[in-house]
Amino acid sequence: MVKSTTKDAQDLFHSLRSTYVATPTNLKIIDLYVCFAVFTALIQVAYMALVGSFPFNSFLSGVLSCIGTAVLAVCLRIQVNKENKEFKDLAPERAFADFVLCNLVLHLVIINFLG
Amino acid sequence: MMNLSRSVALISLFLLPLLSFSFSVDNPTDRRVLVLLDDLSLKSSHSIFFNNLKSRGFDLDFKLADDSKLALQRYGQYLFDGLIIFAPSTERLGGSLDSKSIADFVDSGRDLILSADTSASDLIRGIATECGVDFDEDSSAMVIDHTSFSVSDVDGDHTLIAADDLVKSDVILGKAKIEAPVLFRGVAHSLNPTNNLVFKVLSASPSAYSANPSSKLSSPPQLTGSAISLVSVMQARNNARVVISGSLQLFSDRLIRSGVQKAGSQNQYEKSGNEQFVTELSKWVFHERGHLKAGSLVHHRVGETDEPAIYRIKDDLEFSVEIYEWSGKSWEPYVANDVQVQFYMMSPYVLKTLSADKKGLFHTSFKVPDVYGVFQFKVEYEKLGYTTLSLSKQIPVRPYRHNEYERFIPTAYPYYGACFTTMAGFFVFSFVYLYHK
Repeated sequence: MVKSTTKDAQDLFHSLRSTYVATPTNLKIIDLYVCFAVFTALIQVAYMALVGSFPFNSFLSGVLSCIGTAVLAVCLRIQVNKENKEFKDLAPERAFADFVLCNLVLHLVIINFLG
Repeated sequence: MMNLSRSVALISLFLLPLLSFSFSVDNPTDRRVLVLLDDLSLKSSHSIFFNNLKSRGFDLDFKLADDSKLALQRYGQYLFDGLIIFAPSTERLGGSLDSKSIADFVDSGRDLILSADTSASDLIRGIATECGVDFDEDSSAMVIDHTSFSVSDVDGDHTLIAADDLVKSDVILGKAKIEAPVLFRGVAHSLNPTNNLVFKVLSASPSAYSANPSSKLSSPPQLTGSAISLVSVMQARNNARVVISGSLQLFSDRLIRSGVQKAGSQNQYEKSGNEQFVTELSKWVFHERGHLKAGSLVHHRVGETDEPAIYRIKDDLEFSVEIYEWSGKSWEPYVANDVQVQFYMMSPYVLKTLSADKKGLFHTSFKVPDVYGVFQFKVEYEKLGYTTLSLSKQIPVRPYRHNEYERFIPTAYPYYGACFTTMAGFFVFSFVYLYHK
C-alpha cells in the first residue's frame, strides 16, 4: 500500500513535469514573474514577524504591491492562454495593455500609501 | 492764622501716604493690632511682650474685651490687621464683636492670637473650635505633668510645666534653636483630627495629663500625653494665621524673666525660653516670616522667548516661576529645593522639581508628553509654616500635522525596497514578455 502511494506521487510529479515542459514560453515567463512576486511578499511577512508591525502602512503597501502585481499577472495568464475557451476572442495585445495600465495604477497607489 | 492752616495742610500732606502704609499685598506684615484684655493690668504684667511688638513697629490698641465701643470694621473697611485676645474669662465681647465677627476677621485674611487660661469662657472655647482646636471640656482642669514640671513651681501641684517638645520648623520658630524649655501653666487642648490646617507648635510630654489639680481623680483623664497641645497654630487656606495658646502666663513677664530647671534634669537655665518662643511666634503669625509671593508662570519652547499659544506633542519646553519671600521689610528671593511643577490634565503627566537660582527664579525644562489635549502648568506648594502657593496656567497641546511625521523610517526600508523591486521586476517582465523569442 505504501509503495503504491509513493509510486503514485512520483507518477503524478512526473506527469506534471512533462506537461509543464510542453507549455508555451510566454506562459512560463508569466509563471516565473508570479513566483518572484509571491516570494518577495513572503520575505516581507517574515521580516514583519521578526521586527514587529511598527510602520504598518509601509508593510501593507509593500505586501499589496507584490500580491497585486501577482494577481494581475495571473489574470494576464488566463486571458493569454490559447487553451482557454472563454477568452478566445480577446486579442492578447489588449490583455497585455490592460495588465500594464492596472499595474501603473497599482504602483501609484502603493507609492502614495508607503508613507 | 494763614500760617497755621498752611502748616496743618503741609503736615497732613506728609502724613497721608504714611497713613495708607498698612497691611497690603505689597507689604504683608500687619501694622495695626487690636489687643483685647479682660483686665488692664495685663498691659503691665505682659509688658515685655507688648513692648517687643511695639519696637517692631506694630500699633497696639489696648481695649477691654467688653468695651461697648469695640468695632473691627467701619463702613466695610477693617480697622485692624491683627487681633490679640488675652481675655480668657470674658463671656461676651463688647461692641459689634462676637465669635462670628472674629471668624469673619480671620476669613478676610487677617491674623489672630488667642489665649485661654484656667477658667476659659465658652466664647473663647467657641472661637478656638472654629479654628479646629478643642479645649478640655472640664473648665477647672489644668495640664499637670509629674515628670516635666519646673523645679521652681511654688504650688507644688506640678502645673507649671517646662515644655521642650517644639515643632521642627525654622520658619515658625526662627533659625536660632530655643535652648531653654518653655514655661507653661494653663489648660490643655487637642486638635481636631479631621482638620489638616492646624498643627501643634508646643506639645506636652507623654507623661502629661489634663485634670483638676485640687481634687482627686475619679476616672482616667480624657486628654493625656502628646495628644495634648499647649500652643497650636492654624494657617487658613487664605493664609491667615492663628495662634491658640492654653496659657496666658506663657506671655507674662514673670515667666519670661524666671529661670527654669526641668525636674529630673541637671541643666539649669538663667532665663526660660518663653521670650524667644513668643517673639519668634509673633513674628511668624504677623507675616514677618514665611510669607511667599509668586510672580507669573513663564513658559516657552527651547530656543524661543515668546510664549506660544499652543504646543505640539514631543516639543521641548522651558518653564520658570519667580518666588519671593517677605523678610519683614522687603521681598527677598526665596531659595528652596522642593518646589515642583506639574504638567496636568486630570492627572500629572510630568512632575518635575524646579531648580532654584539665588535670585528667586525657579526653572526647569522637559519634553511635552505624547498625549494631546488641554493641559495646565500647576505649581502647588504647601510647606509647613509657609503660605500656600497655588498657581496654574492653561495651555493646549496638539498632535502632529500631516507633514510633521517622520519621513523615512529606517525600520521600513525593506518595504520601500520591496515596492521598488516589484516595480523594476514588472518593467523587466514586460520587456521580456514582449520581445522573447
